[in-house]
Amino acid sequence: MEIHLSHFNTIYFSAKMSLPLTLLSGLSYMGILIESLSILIISLLFFMLIFLYNKSINEKQHEKWRLIAGLLIRKAVFHDNEDNPDATVPLTARAESLMHNRHFRQLVTEELITTKKSLAGMASENLKHLYQQLQLDKYALTNLKSPQWYVKAKAIQELTLMELKDVLPKLYRYTNNKNELVRMEAQSATVQFYGFEGLRFLNVITYPISEWQQIKLLQQLSQAAPVDVSIDTWLRSKNSSVAVFALKLARSYHWFQWHDTILACLEHPEANVRLQAIDCLCEIYTDKTAAILKSRFWQEELEIQLAIVKALRSIGTEDDAPFLVSLLAYDNNEMKIYAARAVTHISKNGLELIGISASASGYPLNEILAQIKGELAV
Amino acid sequence: MNWPEVFHNLYMYGFLLYSALLILSYIAISVLSIAEIRNYRHKNSFTDYRVLASSTELPSMSILAPAYNEGETIVENVRSLLSLHYNHLEVIIINDGSKDDSLSRLITTYDLHRIDYFVNEQIPTKPVKGVYKSHNPVYSKLTVVDKVNGGKADALNVGVNIAQNKYYVCIDVDCVLEQDAILKLAKPFLENTSKRVIAVGGVVRIANSCEIEGGRIVKVNLPDQFLPRMQTLEYIRAFLLGRMAWARLNGLLLISGAFGVFDREIVIKCAGYNINTVGEDMELVVRMRRYMEELKEPYRVNFIPDPLCWTEAPASFKILGRQRNRWTRGTIETLRMHKKMFLNPDYGLLGMLSYPYWLFFEFMAPIVEFIGIILFIAACLMGIVTHALVLLMIGVIILGILYSVFAILMEVLTYNQYKRNKDILRLLLVAIIEPFVYHPFVVWSAIRGNIDLLRKKNSWGEMTRQGFVGKKPVG
Amino acid sequence: MKILIAEDDQVILMLLEFRLKKDGHEVIVTHDGREALEKIDEFQPDIVITDIMMPYVSGLEIIGAVKSKYPDKMRVIILSGMGQENVVLEAFQLGADDFITKPFSPNEVSVRVRRFDTGRK
Repeated sequence: MEIHLSHFNTIYFSAKMSLPLTLLSGLSYMGILIESLSILIISLLFFMLIFLYNKSINEKQHEKWRLIAGLLIRKAVFHDNEDNPDATVPLTARAESLMHNRHFRQLVTEELITTKKSLAGMASENLKHLYQQLQLDKYALTNLKSPQWYVKAKAIQELTLMELKDVLPKLYRYTNNKNELVRMEAQSATVQFYGFEGLRFLNVITYPISEWQQIKLLQQLSQAAPVDVSIDTWLRSKNSSVAVFALKLARSYHWFQWHDTILACLEHPEANVRLQAIDCLCEIYTDKTAAILKSRFWQEELEIQLAIVKALRSIGTEDDAPFLVSLLAYDNNEMKIYAARAVTHISKNGLELIGISASASGYPLNEILAQIKGELAV
Repeated sequence: MNWPEVFHNLYMYGFLLYSALLILSYIAISVLSIAEIRNYRHKNSFTDYRVLASSTELPSMSILAPAYNEGETIVENVRSLLSLHYNHLEVIIINDGSKDDSLSRLITTYDLHRIDYFVNEQIPTKPVKGVYKSHNPVYSKLTVVDKVNGGKADALNVGVNIAQNKYYVCIDVDCVLEQDAILKLAKPFLENTSKRVIAVGGVVRIANSCEIEGGRIVKVNLPDQFLPRMQTLEYIRAFLLGRMAWARLNGLLLISGAFGVFDREIVIKCAGYNINTVGEDMELVVRMRRYMEELKEPYRVNFIPDPLCWTEAPASFKILGRQRNRWTRGTIETLRMHKKMFLNPDYGLLGMLSYPYWLFFEFMAPIVEFIGIILFIAACLMGIVTHALVLLMIGVIILGILYSVFAILMEVLTYNQYKRNKDILRLLLVAIIEPFVYHPFVVWSAIRGNIDLLRKKNSWGEMTRQGFVGKKPVG
Repeated sequence: MKILIAEDDQVILMLLEFRLKKDGHEVIVTHDGREALEKIDEFQPDIVITDIMMPYVSGLEIIGAVKSKYPDKMRVIILSGMGQENVVLEAFQLGADDFITKPFSPNEVSVRVRRFDTGRK
């Protein structure tokens, strides 16, 4: 646009003089402003109204679908198998045609899964049959091949929750899939079906298992019957997360037979494995364990040293008291606290021993001593 | 030299450039946040939080809640925190030298007594007057610390010193948390195998006009009052769009002081919260990031879009003004303290993108806008306004409204906290009114923040309701 | 008998309602704790079947409310996925008459409900 000052001066002043006219003329600045904003507001409102209308229609439809799905599920749950064991659940024509709709299928699948999670026994079996009758398993198997990770993972989860055990061999290879969620679901699937035996993927996986997944697997395993599995290879695995997981298993289930291999883990290059090993030894120990821990103490970094002292609190004896008392002089307050606590736990004269050091050195040991006295009094 | 013309052109093209960059950033943020939210929600759909909440393998967490003169509500707030379902949780309330009866109320209600406690002062703080625990085993999770008044940063540092666990949640004591909030916040620390997660931020939602029972939000309502309603839109925009986008890039500079989780070891290594700034929440995150960059170790700062924390927003112009004033000063102080990072490739994305963005579009935006409006009015009065300029002005306003509408759309498509169509329409109205009523006020508060800082008004003075300190969703 | 069910899962609610109605009972359904408490006063059921984790008011609070207001009149059966020992113990300590963990069998619920049927009109 070309700028001619005089031009504008004229328009500006004339605009000022004749506001009502200029509102109509569309050339004034106020006019432009008002018109554009009006257009904007009106179009926005129009758009949103359509969107919201669409949304309510969708919601109503989903409500109807939910009812249909619910009825279908109810028919399946209370299906009387005694009369005709091979009979299928009768479908209304409406339901039948809706099964071709992907969204309806997803809704039915979701409802089926949620309900199955809550039901046991024959009701649960019936739902499984309904799932297969509606051919939802075939859709799931197709989804397994999808390039999108969340579709794959969802399919694995679905097949697992529906207890389709025959599918398991197909799922096994996903336990080392490059996508983390797919791996997690596949690993959960094998553990769900085979319990401890299902952990054999730990022999071969190359990707690390996150702490979160480890927690999830341990939670699942707590529902299964404990079986002594060989964790030897896992403890020695190049995949350090596998070693950490194996150590957690050993600790939770008190597998004393692996004590020596666990000791070997104290020399693992990764710090978190060493830490986990020490944690494990708190539950699995012999009369020699404490001495071995002490011998490693000065080679380690602070975090691990603290873990050792914490362990000595649980597994130490009177013989370890002098070592711990010497640590009261360690130049780190946290270490002092840990050592003091450990001393009071393992030694009858714990408080006195600390008292001697405390009166010699004053702060902070005197305060630590007071705190520990308070803790023990409770 | 036609000076009005030169002036006009300079103004217009400068304005144009700034606006173009701003709009580009809106678009980038929108795209990135969509991707990140989608990713998060897909991942989330595979997690059954209820089952995992009872696991004994979960890491222990500490909750730190500094309190100052919260006497009226503190007992209820603490009750709400104690009712969270999580194994191995410790709740630490730090009474920052309240002048009211906060401490005595707590002592009475929770049967507290003073214990001998050695405070390992890994971060130097003002003196601790006493540490209190309960006689009653039901309240064994609770620890109350009484200290000499020193400000929120100092109180948090005391909390960090005392906390026993690896990770701590920093919240404002009057925040209401969702039941599975702690679990959801812990998850990023546990999921990542390649990078160390040092901090996780979460969305802060506006609790005004919501129904709260037994310390939990039972019904979500759009705030009735004008200002909280405007802030609702603002928070949605800032959290769902802004923060998510930055989290995706791993360039997030700010975790709200009202709600965040931190790796305690790193915080201590960074010497804790800085007591010389009013923006201690932002400053800590920047410093932690800087520490990790300097260590050259891979790390992440995550952000969770699920609504996890609800808080009361200021309802009066006066308090809102003070809050925004303080946020501005905090931003400036933080930027100044870390100016070494500006366009410094040693700091990677942090120095090359996050810091410059924060400088030009968070700090400078109110200033640019303010000057822009004044000059526009001057130009009008001098009669040198052009069509182009006016259209530009309108264009920017319209695009701002569209950005807000997009934020509302995201909210409806994802969490849909405001289910009634009526509320969605109300939010739209807010989006339209905002540039004319709310936004100018916010800009003006920011300008005053700049002025106050220049005058070196060192600002805590008498600490007023700590409930609003440090939350910074503006973005 | 008159039975009130409090359960926030739609499908489970429907299944229970269907099964218990088939058994010949009069059934009222509610979707959350608050609604349940209101309807309990209004409907005066013989048996209350409730989940623990529900919006507004938890199942444990419902046990408390029912046992204090109608100590001999109403039975409370807990139907919940939270089967941990401490939860079960607390439920019984508060006065629950039975605890069924999820996943459950609808037949089992039917049988356990029938146990409380003393045939009173």
